[in-house]
Amino acid sequence: MTEIVRDQTMTQAESAVATTGRDLRIPFGLALIGLACVAPLFLGNYPLHAIIIALIFLLPAHGLNLLLGYTGLLSLAQAAFFGIGAYTSALLAVHFGTPFYLNFLAAGFVTGAIALPLGIPALRLRSTSFVMCTLGFVIIGQAIAKNWISLTRGDMGLAAIPKPHFSLGPASFTVSGTVGFYYLVLAIAALATLAVYLIVRSPAGRNMIAIRENETLAESVGIPTWHYKLIVFMISAAFAGLGGSLYAHYLTVVSPLTFQMYYSTTMLIIVLGGGAGTISGVIFGSLLFVGLTEALRVAPELRMIAYGFFLLALVFYFPNGFAPLIGRFWSFLERRK
Amino acid sequence: MFYTVIEQVVNGIVSGSVYAIVAVGMTMIFGVLRAINFAHGEYYMLGTFGAWFAIDYFDLPYPVAIVIGVVATAMIAVVVGNFVMQRIVGAPAEAGVLATLGVALILQNTVILVFGGSYKFFSGGYIEPVSIFGFTLAEQRILIIIVGLIVFVGLELMVTYSRMGKAMRAVSQNIECCAVVGIDVSHIALWTFILGAGLAGLSGVLTAPVNVSVYGGMGELITFKTLPIIIMGGLGNVRGTFVAAMILGIAESLVATYVGLQFRDTVGFATLMLVLMWRPHGLFSAQARF
Repeated sequence: MTEIVRDQTMTQAESAVATTGRDLRIPFGLALIGLACVAPLFLGNYPLHAIIIALIFLLPAHGLNLLLGYTGLLSLAQAAFFGIGAYTSALLAVHFGTPFYLNFLAAGFVTGAIALPLGIPALRLRSTSFVMCTLGFVIIGQAIAKNWISLTRGDMGLAAIPKPHFSLGPASFTVSGTVGFYYLVLAIAALATLAVYLIVRSPAGRNMIAIRENETLAESVGIPTWHYKLIVFMISAAFAGLGGSLYAHYLTVVSPLTFQMYYSTTMLIIVLGGGAGTISGVIFGSLLFVGLTEALRVAPELRMIAYGFFLLALVFYFPNGFAPLIGRFWSFLERRK
Repeated sequence: MFYTVIEQVVNGIVSGSVYAIVAVGMTMIFGVLRAINFAHGEYYMLGTFGAWFAIDYFDLPYPVAIVIGVVATAMIAVVVGNFVMQRIVGAPAEAGVLATLGVALILQNTVILVFGGSYKFFSGGYIEPVSIFGFTLAEQRILIIIVGLIVFVGLELMVTYSRMGKAMRAVSQNIECCAVVGIDVSHIALWTFILGAGLAGLSGVLTAPVNVSVYGGMGELITFKTLPIIIMGGLGNVRGTFVAAMILGIAESLVATYVGLQFRDTVGFATLMLVLMWRPHGLFSAQARF
C-alpha cells in the first residue's frame, strides 16, 4: 500500500537482527509491567489520571493499529465508534442501571455490529475516498448525537453515569477512586494488548500484513481480502467502542463532543507516532502523546499545534514513527556492553 | 409558499457561491497535487481573520480589508506551500491526508491561541438590503454571487487559454511527462496551491459580513462542506465542482427550511456517501480519473 507502512517490515527485521545478541526487551517489558502494577504507590492522583486517560486511548489506538498498521487502511472513523461506544454504555447505565461489565461488553458488541453495515459500502472505496467516507461517519454520528434529543438529550449530553460497580454474590464494591479505576483500566488495557498480540501473531495477522503489502497479490494467493478487511474494520470499531465505554464511565458524562475529529486525530498520532504495525509502539505512543501532554497540563491549543507538527514530522521525516529511535537507542546500549 | 421556495433557492445560490469559490481552489489543488487538502477551510478562516484584524485593529475600510485578508492568506500559503505542499507531489495519498491534517491543526490552533477562542463580531461589509424583483437581498449577498461568477469564468479562461492554466492541466494528467517536457512541476504545484488558498481566503472575507461572527474553529466546518462538493464535482473538475457547490448550497437551504436547521450541516456528507456508493467518480466526470 503506502510507503509509510512498507518500510515497517524491514525495520522490524533489522531490529530483530540487532537484538539477537542479548534481548533487553523482555526484561524491560517485565520491569515496565511491574512498575505499572505498583505505580499508585509513588504517583499522585494527577499523574495517575493522566495514565488512565492514556490507557483508555490505548484501546481505540490498538484498533486503529490493526486497521492502519497491519491491514493498511487509513480510517478517521475511530472517533465515531469511540462516541457510539460511550453513548451505548452511558444509555444502558443511565436508563437500565445495568452493571459495568455488561455495559462495557455491550459497547464493544454494538460498535462492532454497527461497523458491519458501515464497513460494507465504505471498504469498497479506495485510498482518499475511503478516508472521506470514514470522516463522514464522524460528522453524521455527531449530528445524530446532537439531534436525537429524546434518546441522547442533545447538546446537554448524558450525565451522572455510575462508576463501575461489581458484585459477586454477597460481596460488592464500587470502583470510585483514581487508584481503583487505574487498576481496572490497566487490567483491561493489558487484556486488549494480549488480544491484539494474539491476533497479530496468528495466521490471520500474517494475512493482514499480506493485504497491507500488496492487496492484489494477497487476493491472488487465495486470501479472502474482502472478508479480512471487513472483519478487521469491525474489530477495530469494537476496540474503539470499548475505549469509549471506559471513557464514559471514567468521566461520568458524555456529550456530542465525543464525536470529534480531535479524537480521530489523537488516535492517528498515537499509532503513527508510536510506529504503525507495532504493538509496543502504540503503547509507547499513547503514553507519550496522551499521557505526557495530560500530565504536563498542556493547553489544548498548544497540544493540537504540537500534534500538527508531529504529523508533519512523521510524514516527512519519520515514516516509521518515533519508536525506531528508541530501538536505535537500545542497540546503542547493547553495543556498549 | 412559492415565494419561500424561490427565496430559499436564492439563499442557496449565495451559499453555493461561497462554497464554489472555496471548492474550486481545493479541486485544482487536488488535480495538481493529488492530495485532498484537509486544511483548505483554514485558509477561509485566515482570510476572515485577516480582514477582521484590519478592521478591528486599524479601522480600515472593508474594501481594503478584503485585499489585506486575501494577501495575508496568500502569504501564509506561500510558507505552507514551500515547506509542506511541494513535498506532497508524487507522495502516496495517505501522506497528503496526514500532512494537510497537520497543517490544519497548526493553523487553526495558532489562530485560537493568538486571538482567543471566543466569537468575534465582524463589523464591515455592505449589509444594506436591496430589493430586486420583489426580493430583498443584502448587497453583500449579491456581491458574493457576482464574485462567484467572476471567479468561475476567470478560472475557466485561465485554465483553458493561459500558459499557467495549460501547465496545470498537464500536470494533473501526467506528472512524469510534464517533467520530461520541461514543465517545472513543483513550481506549478506551489502556484496552484497559492491560488487555491487565496481564493479560499477571498471567500472567507466576502462571507464574513453575512456570517457576522468570526472564530478560530470556523475553518473546519468549511473543510467538511467542501470535501463532499469536490467529490461530487469529480476531483479536479472545475466546472463540475461549481455545479456541485450550487446544488449543495440550494439543497442545504431547502433542508434547513423544510426539514430542520439542525440537519443542514449533514446534507453534504450524507450526499457524499451516496455519491461515493453509486458514482465514485463524481456526478460530472465521464469516468474515474483517480
